Amino acid sequence: MATVVQPRPDDPARRPNIASAGNRLPGIRNYKQVDRDIMATLRPTLAWFAALGIAILCLIVGIAAWMYQIYEGLGAAGYQPPVMWGVYIVTFVFWVGIGHAGTLISAILYLFRAGFRTTIYRVSEAMTVFAVMTAGLFPILHLGRPWKFFWLIPYPHWRLIWPNPKSPLVWDVFAILTYLTVSATFFYVGLIPDIAVLRDHETNPIRKRIYATLSLGWRNSDREWRHFARAYLFLAAFATPLVLSVHSVVSFDFAMALTPGWHATVFPPYFVAGAIFSGIGMVFTIIIPLRKFFKLQHFVTINDLDAAAKLCLFTSMVVGLAYLSEFQVAWMSGNQFEQEYFWNRVFGQWAWSAWIMLICNCVLPLSLFSQKLRRNTTWLFMLSLTINLGMWFERFVIVVPSLSHEFEPWQWGGYHPTFVDYSILLGSFGWFFMWFLLFIKQMPSMALAEIKEILPPPMRRPVDRSHDLDALTLDPNLTAGDD
Amino acid sequence: MQGVIGAFAELDSTVHAIEDLRKQNFSDITVYTPTPRHELDDALQHPTSVVRRFTLIGGLAGLTFGYWIAIWISDYWAIVVGGKPVASWVPYTIIGFELTVLIGSLATVFGMFAVSRIPRLTTTVGYDARFSEGDFGVWVPAGPDRAGEAAEVLRRHGAVEVRNER
Repeated sequence: MATVVQPRPDDPARRPNIASAGNRLPGIRNYKQVDRDIMATLRPTLAWFAALGIAILCLIVGIAAWMYQIYEGLGAAGYQPPVMWGVYIVTFVFWVGIGHAGTLISAILYLFRAGFRTTIYRVSEAMTVFAVMTAGLFPILHLGRPWKFFWLIPYPHWRLIWPNPKSPLVWDVFAILTYLTVSATFFYVGLIPDIAVLRDHETNPIRKRIYATLSLGWRNSDREWRHFARAYLFLAAFATPLVLSVHSVVSFDFAMALTPGWHATVFPPYFVAGAIFSGIGMVFTIIIPLRKFFKLQHFVTINDLDAAAKLCLFTSMVVGLAYLSEFQVAWMSGNQFEQEYFWNRVFGQWAWSAWIMLICNCVLPLSLFSQKLRRNTTWLFMLSLTINLGMWFERFVIVVPSLSHEFEPWQWGGYHPTFVDYSILLGSFGWFFMWFLLFIKQMPSMALAEIKEILPPPMRRPVDRSHDLDALTLDPNLTAGDD
Repeated sequence: MQGVIGAFAELDSTVHAIEDLRKQNFSDITVYTPTPRHELDDALQHPTSVVRRFTLIGGLAGLTFGYWIAIWISDYWAIVVGGKPVASWVPYTIIGFELTVLIGSLATVFGMFAVSRIPRLTTTVGYDARFSEGDFGVWVPAGPDRAGEAAEVLRRHGAVEVRNER
């Protein structure tokens, strides 16, 4: 037990700090260690250069395929009637979905004071911004004449094009651009105090000047923190309904159409749950190697991963319920076209993709009921890869089978993606990881100020923290069991 | 501006120093802290941030603009589809909502910058790089007549360094 000295009753230091509730980082001793350990990750390494090289190579493959598509026309991308939405729209929805977990973790879990978000939210926010940047490319790639992309923006003009604000495609433009702007703003505002830390530690004059500019002259005064905390709270409050609305709007692209399999009221919550599920999968894909290579296991603890895995399990079950309800509604509707479509989805032409989706998204995540597997980073990483795969196939199953199997047999057809589709898909991963890798070597991948906030502050007189110490003593897994 | 800066290694010492300085009628105290702490807010007793007003005004402006642009576009191209009204408020709620969030968020950030007085191009008197790392700083504006008194309070509460700045 710790030595307990009773401070005077009115000592403000005794009041609990809300943000520190339920989260402790026993491997971190003081504020200086936070700066030292996280800033050590900014030094470029050979492995980082190799990873960046691979990402840029993938991007070059994607760019080359796009140039070929522009030269040859959209036919090079495997489009053939009736399937005129293919891999590009599938991948667009996939990346928008990936972007959702970042805002969930940074905004919604912030409002709920979930302790495990503190060490993973910066990476998740970066993932969000870069994923939405990637998603935004796909409507342009999907255009036959991409240089006219600005025609997508629904402002009144005199080109004899009718902007229809009742169309889900117009809502999409508003939703995605708002999401990108607000996510990027939220991300940058959270970074300002940490950039100030980098500025104060930097010795290279050029880099110091760059950090000084980016930190906007932040100096950690009480005035700045007071307004910062309030602004951050409001941004989180705005981002919370926004994250729910954006994928709802994306789902309207499908649900507003009469096509079998799309015209369903369950689509908005189904898409939102799927987006959060896929995003958490991608968070695991990124954070598990990152904490290992950067030796940050004492920051992103096994307990944090365990808590995130529970969220992953919950969203997987919500997604599974949405899949089942789709079948139930088709069965009970008495609508022959719906029933035909869903039968075709799981036992017909597209059965292989539907079963990949079901196994990856509904069956394998059930393993997370096991605490042992939730705390096994190798298993979590492998599972996250299958979740990414399963969620890409979920969007494939939504887009392609519906278009290939509409109301009448003469409307039925097939779809065969070409090397152009696959190359651009690969290129999108290259684009995403290129930005991410560049980010983690320029900016702290964890929020320095927020991590300091959850640490016990330095005190001249010992304060009664016996409840914290008891918890540490009682939970041997808090530090043990890590890889 | 003239004053005294004291650097503290511990939070409770900082809090007690602020309380004593306030008792001795020192005002406009600025505290530098590596992370926001409620203990310091309690000691300083500042009013609630006014950022919320920017948020409210920005949000309402965005909501109005969102509905307005959708209705204006519809009236400009008044094409009746399926016998429905040319301007229909239900689908326009999506555009209204998105712009509420967009303009409300940007106004919040603008408000935060304005009231925090950033971007700041000049170095602040009293600021030290150690305050972003782990130490706490207390800056007390004081003329030559009261600087000694302020320095004495800071030292008494355990400041690791006290210096006059101008």
